[in-house]
Amino acid sequence: MSPEMLIYPFLFIAIFFESFVLVTLLSKPAREARSRMLNASTPSVAIVVPCWNEASTITATCDSLLALDYPKENLEIILVDDGSTDTTREAVLRFKEHPQIRIIHKENGGKHTALNAGIAITNAELVGCLDADSFVEPDALREIVSCFYNPQVVAATAAMSIHKPKNILQHMQNAEYTFGITLRHAFASINGLYVTPGPFSFYRREIVNTLGGFRYGHQTEDMEMALRIQRAGYEIENAPRARVYTKAPSTIAKLINQRTRWISGFLRNILGEYRDLIGNRNHGVLGMLVLPSAILSVASGILLFGLMLFLFARNTVTALEVREGIPLSYAFLPHGTLDWFYLPIGFYTLLAIIVLLTSIILIAIGRNISKTTGGIFIGLISYTFLYGLITPFWLFRAASDVAIGKRRSWRY
Amino acid sequence: MSLVARNALIALFITIAISGTVAYAINYLNNARVSELSAIEEQLSIDSLSLETQFSLLESAPCDSNASSVTLTTELADFGNRLSYAENQLGSDNSQVIRLKERYSLLEIRDYLITKQLAQVCRTKPVTVLYFYSNAGDCADCDKAGYALSYLRDTYPALRVYSFDYNLDLGALKTFIAVTKVRSDLPAFIINGKHYYGFTSLEDLEKQFPKGALATTTATTTRL
Repeated sequence: MSPEMLIYPFLFIAIFFESFVLVTLLSKPAREARSRMLNASTPSVAIVVPCWNEASTITATCDSLLALDYPKENLEIILVDDGSTDTTREAVLRFKEHPQIRIIHKENGGKHTALNAGIAITNAELVGCLDADSFVEPDALREIVSCFYNPQVVAATAAMSIHKPKNILQHMQNAEYTFGITLRHAFASINGLYVTPGPFSFYRREIVNTLGGFRYGHQTEDMEMALRIQRAGYEIENAPRARVYTKAPSTIAKLINQRTRWISGFLRNILGEYRDLIGNRNHGVLGMLVLPSAILSVASGILLFGLMLFLFARNTVTALEVREGIPLSYAFLPHGTLDWFYLPIGFYTLLAIIVLLTSIILIAIGRNISKTTGGIFIGLISYTFLYGLITPFWLFRAASDVAIGKRRSWRY
Repeated sequence: MSLVARNALIALFITIAISGTVAYAINYLNNARVSELSAIEEQLSIDSLSLETQFSLLESAPCDSNASSVTLTTELADFGNRLSYAENQLGSDNSQVIRLKERYSLLEIRDYLITKQLAQVCRTKPVTVLYFYSNAGDCADCDKAGYALSYLRDTYPALRVYSFDYNLDLGALKTFIAVTKVRSDLPAFIINGKHYYGFTSLEDLEKQFPKGALATTTATTTRL
């Protein structure tokens, strides 16, 4: 068996996964979610903003929250300074006289402790979280709150994009986040979400307290909370038009650090405390499809990259050996005829193109259902050519961290 | 049936349909390649026969058919390139590929014989290379030798390179191998009748050519 044959099962699974997402998007629950009207009810809401050295963004984050289209008497904002060592303290104190804002200063204990501290001082029906480097659209809260009309729903997530992407790496992440909007929307319609992201996810406060509040969760407290909610048999919804923008890592090193934390947190949670959810029919699509697919995507990312490296190295060595001694002008410049006969299309190349094109369609769908504005072209280009090259690095790093028990600090 | 199970079944059906369609498309493309090769091979057969007939008809002035001979060799080289690509795509054990390789080998032998006849009658000195290779995994240097010969053929268009799969089960080829007395020590070359075995470098291979042959072949292209 040639090494190339190993690629086929992964491509088959990738096409199945994308087909499943497309079919789910066309199913009744997703259609109903997209047509959901804004609900007139305005339950009391508290938004906790945990801050640790966020002096540069906290003011803009607060301003965007204060601009939310929501009755002021039913909305409180809780800024939790989690022992910042920069000027975050001074920055948050600027809001101390604001009637909607409450401020907590505490010793540094991690994001989960900041969230719990904020939740502890409110009696609001719904509590939300917004990372201090994120910003929301004015109608985002109303969109989110509408999800809670269904009493079975105990948490709801928003539609995230990158805030003002500048370089090609941030554009790539923007395309990836837009892809995430589609996936989150599709899987929320069949209760398959396993993460309630830090930027603008909301919970019924009573349920959070019943479940014991936020935990460390291997540095992924939002994922750990979502998994606990799912295990308890509740539903997690998604508001695809609740727009929230977050800052993205601007360098490859920072991006790899961030994703290493996410993926290692996922692996530690899912292979540890929440292992019983995998393949568990009682948890429906989450147990039978979403979690196995997520684990498989980590494994396949590493394996496929390794395989690609091997094939690339093997073909390069062969090409160099064969071309040895031949003048460079002949050996490494293209020659031949442009003829359909020599079209370099094989079975797995065509399947890979289909997977990529379907991904682009799913990104376009995400952009459309969330009504995201701004160009996506650079994002698609960089996503197509860059994402697959960088992803294996954080997958491998996260997997090796988990394998050898290495833990990294939150900030790098 | 639950919604998720139904969606999964539909997705599975779509996946199988897509994979099947892709397999069909690739098979269709490969069949089209084989058809193209068959058409070229048929045309080459006619051209080759035509050249032989011309040669017989113009016994008094056979050198007038030289232009046709050059064209035939060029087309034969293109056919060889396509056949090599198709072999990579379909595999060397594909029955259609093997059949086409047999026809290709026959055409090559025929073209080689015509070239020799013309050279004798017209008193030209074409540089011919008979190259014997194997892709059965027993010839580590065959890829390098083949690529070096491709380079020489592209650089010196008048150079006539005839490649033969040593292991091809074809009576005429076996006879040709016996007549030319080529050993199974591959890669093997017969350059203007002189035997040369193994491949080390392009430089060494070039040394096996008659002195000045590579430098002058381009200039004599139109005279062949």
